[in-house]
Amino acid sequence: MTTNFIKFFLLCSVLCNFSYADEYVIVANKNMKELSLGEIKAIFLKKISFTNDIKVIPINLSSRDAVRSKFEQQILKMNLIKLKSYWTKQHYLGRRPPITMKSQEAIKTFVKKVDGAIGYMNVNTVDDSVKILYKWSDE
Amino acid sequence: MKKIITLLLTLFISLSAKESEETPYTLGEGLQVASLPLYLGGYFSLDYKRKPNEEKYEIEDFAILGYGSYEKISYITELEFKKLYVNANKNEERSVEQDTALHVERLYSTYNVNENYDLGVGKYNSPIGYWNLIPVNVLRDTSSIPITSFIIFPQYTTGVNASYNSYTDNDFRIDVMLQKNSDIDPKYNNYEINEHYGIGFTYAKNNFSLKFNAGVFQIVDYYNEDDEFNGKEHDGGDGDGDEDDIDKDFETLTSSKHYYALLSAKYDSDSFQVMGEIGSQRSKDDFITKYAGYVQSVYRFDEKHMAILRAESYDNQVSKIAENMAIVGYTYRPIYPIAIKTEYQFHSISNNDTLLLSFSMMF
Repeated sequence: MTTNFIKFFLLCSVLCNFSYADEYVIVANKNMKELSLGEIKAIFLKKISFTNDIKVIPINLSSRDAVRSKFEQQILKMNLIKLKSYWTKQHYLGRRPPITMKSQEAIKTFVKKVDGAIGYMNVNTVDDSVKILYKWSDE
Repeated sequence: MKKIITLLLTLFISLSAKESEETPYTLGEGLQVASLPLYLGGYFSLDYKRKPNEEKYEIEDFAILGYGSYEKISYITELEFKKLYVNANKNEERSVEQDTALHVERLYSTYNVNENYDLGVGKYNSPIGYWNLIPVNVLRDTSSIPITSFIIFPQYTTGVNASYNSYTDNDFRIDVMLQKNSDIDPKYNNYEINEHYGIGFTYAKNNFSLKFNAGVFQIVDYYNEDDEFNGKEHDGGDGDGDEDDIDKDFETLTSSKHYYALLSAKYDSDSFQVMGEIGSQRSKDDFITKYAGYVQSVYRFDEKHMAILRAESYDNQVSKIAENMAIVGYTYRPIYPIAIKTEYQFHSISNNDTLLLSFSMMF
């Protein structure tokens, strides 16, 4: 009885862990071509401003948003100090940081309507009105 | 002079007031002029330097930036008062200098051909090495710049610039610089040149990057202490603004084309950075600078505090100076666009040991 309970407990723990592995997606307007991770990174760092003659518009969530933090750490591979340093240097070079929006829903609506728009969100927010370019998870 | 500064400050303050009604202003990121595709910003530096027989206070690098983009064209201009105020005491003699000339540091426009290619024209920072891309005190690790960054190649090029970037996981970039005309502002460069052809290759993977530059340029003139402009970039000594460290041989310097090569490498993690550069410059007949190089490590304690250790060495055949030095520095940034720096330079040549303090800001 005790052994079965322990097995059941362990199984539940494993399943719970799986269910908590959040997934995120980078999405773009349906007209956007497929992009490599290197190109996505370059777009959010404002190194690429046009693709297929369409002006790209990267959109960030607010600076303290947890999803933004995960995007910066796992996709851009830059922590807060590096990003602050990067954008101050870009100001000297004549580049601006991406625009920000307060919610994932707002980003989805914008991306759906505007050619060249690109953003990121939790996979639970996404639907087929936008194109998924890349998917990643916490693990 | 006062009118110019008053005008610029009034313009900036009035724009700040207008902007604050619409979007919050972030220090170090400039602000937009109304809803035009134009942003304004700038930076300045207040420096203090002490050598055994010299003490100097200066307001340096007071600059205004204007930039923006429209469709595939972007543009930038940078106007600067290089040495706005210098109060020096050398060998018990006090002097005050005020260079109120407004210099054109950069003025160029770039056309974005597609996601991989850019084509630019105008006066720009020569994309050579790492330091020369960001030649502003507040953005640098230390107040001084390594000698390698101002005796090997021309810091500014006036002409055409083309670049290719792969934007793959392992970035590969090529830069081409072409100049066959005079400088837009010949007084604002380490060398006055009328020709420069250069190429650069950069490879980057994760935290590591490697860069190689090579080129050739023709010098028209090399500034000396009689010149109105006494920029720090060409002092060839401690990198702090003295024009008297190199006894320049003008015949040698201007008689032939100068060839240069520079190899740079950098590893940059979240908490520390190691970088090094080594370069050489020669004419057809002989070396002008046999070698100039440095290795620097930066340790970031946290967001605000960092320590820097740099070892430099160079051998200049014209000045007949070969020198080694060690630089120990500490930088405090209460917020990133403000830097309070101190550094001490130990020189192998006696009487060159230098203390540097600076307060710099980008706005």
